[in-house]
Parts: sequence; structure tokens; C-alpha cells
Amino acid sequence: MEGITKRFGDVVANDDVDFSVEKGSIHALLGENGSGKTTLMSVLYGLYEKNAGTVSIDGEPREFESPRDAMDAGVGMIHQHFQLVETMTVLQNIVLGREPTEMGLVDTSTARSDIEEICSRYDFHVDQYLDTKVQDLDLGARQRVEIVKSLYRGADILILDEPTAVLTPQEIEDLLDLMEELADAGHSLVFITHKLGEALDAADEVTVLRDGRAIGTVDAAGTTEAELARMMVGREVQFDRPPRDPPEGDFVLNAEGLHVRGSRGLERVTDVDLGVREGEILGIAGVQGNGQTELVEALTGLRDVDSGTVRLNGEDITEANRRHRIDAGIAYIPEDRTTEGLVQDYTLVRNALLGNQTVEPFADGGMIDWSVVNDHAEAIIREYDVQPPDEGAKAKSLSGGNQQKFIVGREIEHDPDVMIASHPTRGVDIGSIEFIHDRLLELRDAGMGILVVSSKLDEIQKLADRIAVMYEGEFMDTVDPETTTEEELGLLMAGHDAGSGHGGGAGDDAPDGGSGRE
Amino acid sequence: MLRASVIERLAIATASTALALLIGVTIVAAAGYDPVQFITSMLQGALGGQSAVARTLRFSTLFILTGVAVAVAFRAGVFNIGVQGQFVVGGFMTIMSIVWTAPLLPEGAVGGVGLILIGFVAGAGSGGLYGALPGALKAYADANVIITTIMLNFIATGVVGWLVQNPFRGEGNAAPNTERIPEYVSFPSILFDSSGFSIVGLAIALAVVAVIYVVMERSRFGYDMVTSGHQESAATYSGVDAKRTVVSTMTLSGMVAGIAGAVFAIMIQGYYTDPSGIGTYGFDAIAVSLLAANNPLGIIPAGLLFGGLESAGSHIGIYTDVPVQLIDGVIGLVILFVAVPELFRMAAVRTGLGGEKR
Repeated sequence: MEGITKRFGDVVANDDVDFSVEKGSIHALLGENGSGKTTLMSVLYGLYEKNAGTVSIDGEPREFESPRDAMDAGVGMIHQHFQLVETMTVLQNIVLGREPTEMGLVDTSTARSDIEEICSRYDFHVDQYLDTKVQDLDLGARQRVEIVKSLYRGADILILDEPTAVLTPQEIEDLLDLMEELADAGHSLVFITHKLGEALDAADEVTVLRDGRAIGTVDAAGTTEAELARMMVGREVQFDRPPRDPPEGDFVLNAEGLHVRGSRGLERVTDVDLGVREGEILGIAGVQGNGQTELVEALTGLRDVDSGTVRLNGEDITEANRRHRIDAGIAYIPEDRTTEGLVQDYTLVRNALLGNQTVEPFADGGMIDWSVVNDHAEAIIREYDVQPPDEGAKAKSLSGGNQQKFIVGREIEHDPDVMIASHPTRGVDIGSIEFIHDRLLELRDAGMGILVVSSKLDEIQKLADRIAVMYEGEFMDTVDPETTTEEELGLLMAGHDAGSGHGGGAGDDAPDGGSGRE
Repeated sequence: MLRASVIERLAIATASTALALLIGVTIVAAAGYDPVQFITSMLQGALGGQSAVARTLRFSTLFILTGVAVAVAFRAGVFNIGVQGQFVVGGFMTIMSIVWTAPLLPEGAVGGVGLILIGFVAGAGSGGLYGALPGALKAYADANVIITTIMLNFIATGVVGWLVQNPFRGEGNAAPNTERIPEYVSFPSILFDSSGFSIVGLAIALAVVAVIYVVMERSRFGYDMVTSGHQESAATYSGVDAKRTVVSTMTLSGMVAGIAGAVFAIMIQGYYTDPSGIGTYGFDAIAVSLLAANNPLGIIPAGLLFGGLESAGSHIGIYTDVPVQLIDGVIGLVILFVAVPELFRMAAVRTGLGGEKR
């Protein structure tokens, strides 16, 4: 694939990406969520039409208008969410769309022998349950069915989109073995993932994507997790860290022994302690998907905790709902501005009320005073430089940076005690990034306690007074940004303990970064 | 809602009504009936003379009330298909509460007003409870509202049908009817001297529209509700309790349906009968609400249109030889043309299969 560019409206999902896979090898495509991995592969698989670039297979340029074209050219894709009909049997699922027929009827015995032939070549164990309904299989088996389905359709190139996300550790091991077997037999595999370890274990080569661009391709044997982590999170903008005094205020937000489950019921946050002081920014660094989302949701009242306590100004608010926490003074800049932070179909006026429904003077006795809300929206737009300055514009008509500035303004105007900002500048233009950073630093100087979650190292290093690094649901360490290098942070983010034990406690002084094992 | 899109919507509704009627008339002509006479009879039936207008307004009153009941729920993203059941339960409880409490109050105008108030409270209360039930099932047991409300429609019809036939059948009634409410418990005849319609009923419907409009546009509860309907994740982010909102939305929707039932019971019937034969206002209301884009103010013209069609249909059925099935078919075409595209648009937006991009 050369020079692939794919735009969705104004958003560039893939920007001039070059990507090539050698025959008979496993190639990992590594990047954070939203970095453009799946989009790139969907272009290869014919799901999306590219805006520019060429796709060549075996050196021959090809144009795919649909997945069927791609399949005919030997490209198969196994999606993150399996594309199986649960009420049909394994055999029916495998032949679906490519049924061998005899006089218009499905020729089951030919299908069966074809599938058994494929299965006999590899260690699939799928042929044992050809007549079982898919709904009765576990997820690992379903995935193998998907792979057999692609092979049955003659796939030489197999794309696996985050194949390990739903699997148990044992199933992951089996899958990686199977992938190796397939590669040895001459198939080419693309393995989409955001997990560093797996990419290194499974792949021969690794290509890292960030913000839709290919950052580089490296040999798996010649790289380290720390290097990959750095490539993933990047540091395009160099921020200067403003000088500051160490904060000595009281703790405003504390969490002790937090355990939180994710949406799939798995534990995503394990025994996390944290404390945010007045006039301090605590940064939480880490590769995305290591429990930061669940931690923030537990702190803001959007997700129940399994065990542990959350305190605001010393008061136990573990059981308090979201509304109560807003009223108690926790402001929250959410991770996803399009689904959470703004109602896309609402005007900015209506959005200015979001989260303020119980706050006077906007609402009094259950009735909303829209003229006050209107003034409030105008004030946010003016003071936070939201473009275009039109309070009647719908949220979805604004660019990402302006949407974010509006949210930041609205949350700051709550006059909270604690600000929790999750990826406050993701997908935001550089000018707005500076603006948002300046506002957060001003708030810090004014004595607010701020928690910033970000996977951008430069952002964390610029803003934070202390940095806690999160890996697989745990705090690896809490470090001082003044004395910690990016390499050390990279190692921590990749799960290498820096030597001083985990659990950056509420009262811990920032320990030294220490050195990694490699 | 923007002014431009209101005009647009009115234009679309008018054009699709006209187109549906054109096709309907073509079918009528193809079936061998006189299309000109068909059109004249329709107009005659809907607007020709005081009694026709009264009949149109009678149907419109019920369509407006049930339409608002549907709109409240749909705006909050809750698909309450159970307005019919809530309407039946509300109407039945209105009659029974009046029958039971009538002996306790003085006869005449004072007692009449008192009993009407009691009837409305009973109707709105029972309709609200009957709506809260599927709301609670959704919130706390994750039961699909569409399915539970449809099933509760059958249960309401069946249970009330049995009650009016057995324990609550009026003394000496051959038909499965409850006792009549006293003569003095009725809306006064102002402007229209027609049995089954009083301008007071229409005024109640318009008042309900006004209250619901204010609740949706100006109250915090309405904002929470509509935000949940637009984008649930954003509502949750802003501190709205999604579960409680579902229950209170369904309660409010059921209360309005119950008020519709009370108006039907007091203004039209005067007693309660087997609900399988009282009409399907609660179902037609879905089309009314969709036509109005679930906007409470839009429900008024939409309700008037449906009232006119219904009224025209019953007139044609009596005064022409066009078969009733054909008339229902033409009305069905109108619904199909004006309301169904809106239904698909909503479904597309909701399922993410198309429509507006999120």
C-alpha cells in the first residue's frame, strides 16, 4: 500500500500512509485507538474507498470496490466483532456466500470435505464441531471459525483486527501459535493491535501508526517495547515546561484501593491509590486502554467501583451518583467530546446547560431560565475563543478544537474544586492545545486540584507536577517530571517496573525514576 | 425546532397527504366508484356542516391527546407503543371512580365538576401507573419497552374486557357495559350542540399540549428527558439518571394517555365497554406523533388532519356505497405517506444505519 489517504469529511484518518507486508510473514500494525489502523486495513479490504494512493498485491496494482473484490484477490479480514450468524451452524457460517451447489442446492458433503481439508493442514480443531451452532461456541473457537471462513474463501492475506481483545490468556497463546503456523505455510498476516507485548511476540515486523500517519516500520527482533511506546505516543510538539513550586496544599481528591470492572466484566483498575492536592496537577500517563478510562469514570461517578473509596475534600463520595458529584464540585472534561461532552444536535446554548441543570441561576425550582443560559453560552464563547462565535450554532458544526474549548470553558465556569480532564487535547489543533494547557495551568495556580489523563508524554510532562504511570490497571509508579526522562516513562508505560514498587500512594513523595531492566 | 424546518415539514405533510389521496382516489376509480363523489363526500364528512365539524373535532381531541402521550415518550427515546393500553386503563378507572364516588357527592353542577375532577385524577393516575410499569421493567430488568408495552396493551384490553363483563357490569345491562355515570357528570355544550363533543374536551387537549410543551422546553425534567432521547451518553455525563428518566418519562406519557382515556370516557361514552371495540386511538397516535416529528405543538395540526380523515371515513362509510375497507385503505395510504418516512428516519438515526451523522 502506498500513499494511502482516507478522509471522513474534514477528518483525515489516514494521511499518505505506506505499508507493505512480505509474503509469509506476520506484520503487526500498532497504534492507539483512533490512530487509523482499522481504517487503513478497511481500505485494503475494500470496505472504504481511499481518497489517494495505490494498493498492490503481489506487485500488481488493484482497485477494490467491495470486500468481495478483496476476497477474490485473496484478502480476508477477521473483524474485532465477529461476523457470524449465531443461530447457524459452523459449517453453514463457513460456506455462507460461497456455498458449493449441486442443482441449486447446497452440497453439504463437498463443503464438509473442503473444510476438513483446510482444517487438517493446521491445528484448528474446527472440524470437530461443524454441526454445532455458533452461539454454543466460546469466543476463541468462534475466532478460529472466522479464520477458517477466510481460508475457505481462498485468503492469502489475513487481516486480524485486535484479535486478542476478547480472548483469555490461554486462547491468546493458541492464537499466536496458529498465526505462526499460517505464516509458515505461506500466508501473510496483518495483526492490528495496541498492545506492545503482543506485537513484539507475534510479529516479524511492526509498523506504528499515529494520528493517521505511519511513524515507521521496525524489525520486531531489533526493537524494544519502550521504543515502540515512544513511537506510539510521539512528541510532535515540544512543549516547554513552565517553572513552578512544588504544591503543598491539602488533598482535595483521594482514592484508596480502587478496583473497577470494565464493560466486559473484567477488572480494569486494580488496587489504585491516588491523591490530588490543591494547586497541583496529577498526570496519569499510559498507553491507552490500560484502565485509565475506567479509573476516570469511577472518580467522576459514571461507573460503580468494586471496592475501595473515593473522597472529595475528605468526604466519602464512593456511593454518590454523578449528579451529586457535579454539585459537590467535580468538573469533568470527558474523553469523548462527541458522545459525552456535547449533544451534537443541540445548539451551543442548549449545550451550555449540560451538567448545569441543577445549578442556579440557570435553573431555579426545576424551571430553566434560557436567557441566563444564553448569556452563559455567549460568555463561554467569548472568553474561550470558540469559533465561530455563534451561540445558535449546532455543536456538530464546530471543529474538534472549538468543541473542546467550549467544553473546557463550560467545565471551568462550574467553579469546581477538582477538575478531571481526560485526554483534554486529543484531536485538537495546536493553537487550541496551547490555549487549553494555559487555562489548566492558570487553574492550578489558582489553587484547583487537577487530574489530567493523557497518553501524550509531552503533554503530561508539561502539565503535571507528579506523573503516575498506569499499566494494565495498576499504577506502576509515581514519578517527578523534573527528573524523569521520556525513556524512563516509556519503560514504565510498557509495563517495566522502574524498581521502586507500584502504587504511587496518596502521600508518597515522588520517587526517582530509577532505571529499567533493559 | 427551527422555523424553516417547521414550514418544510408542513409542506411535506401537505404534499404527501395530497399524493396519498390522489393514489387513493385512483384506486377508488379503478374499483369502479365515482372518484369525484368520493372526494366531495370526504370533504363533506370532515367539514360539511356543524355536526361534521363536531365529529372531526371529537376525533381530533382524542388524537391530539394520545399523540402528545406518544410524543413525550418518543422525544425521550422511549418507544412507548402502549398508549392504547394506558388509554383503556385510564378511561375505565375514570368511569369506575366516578361511579363509586357519585353517591358521596351532591347532585348537580357542583357534584358534577367534583366528579369530573376525581375522574381525571383517577384516569391520569392509573394511566401513569400503567405506563410506569414497563418503564420500571426497562430500567431495572432491561426488558424491551416496545415488547412489554405491546403485551400490556393486550393485557389491558383483556382484563378490562373481563371486568366490564363480569364484576363491574351495570345492573340489568344486557351488553357488557359498566353502569352509566350520572347525567350531570358531563362537559357543557358550548358552541357545538353535539352528543359526543364538547369544546371543553378540545380545550383540555390544548391545555395538555401547552403544559407538555412548557415541560419539554422550559423545565429541567424536560431537558433531561429530551437529552436522554438525543444522546444518552451525554445525558449520563451531565448527571441524568438514565433509569429514573425512563420510568418518569413512561409515567408522564401514561398520564397523558390516561387523560385521553378520561376525556373519551366522560365526553363520548358515559360508561365503559369492552375495549376491543372502542377504536385504536393509541395506535393511530403513533402516526400522529411521527407526522408532528414528536413536537407537542406539531401534534395539533397533525391531530386535526387525522381527526378529519377519520371523520370523513365514517361519513363515507354511511353515505356512499364505497366499501369501508377501501376507505380504510385510503386512510392507510395517507398514514403510510406522511408518517412512515419519518419512522424510518428515526429508526435509521437510532440504529446508526443512516440518517444524520453523529
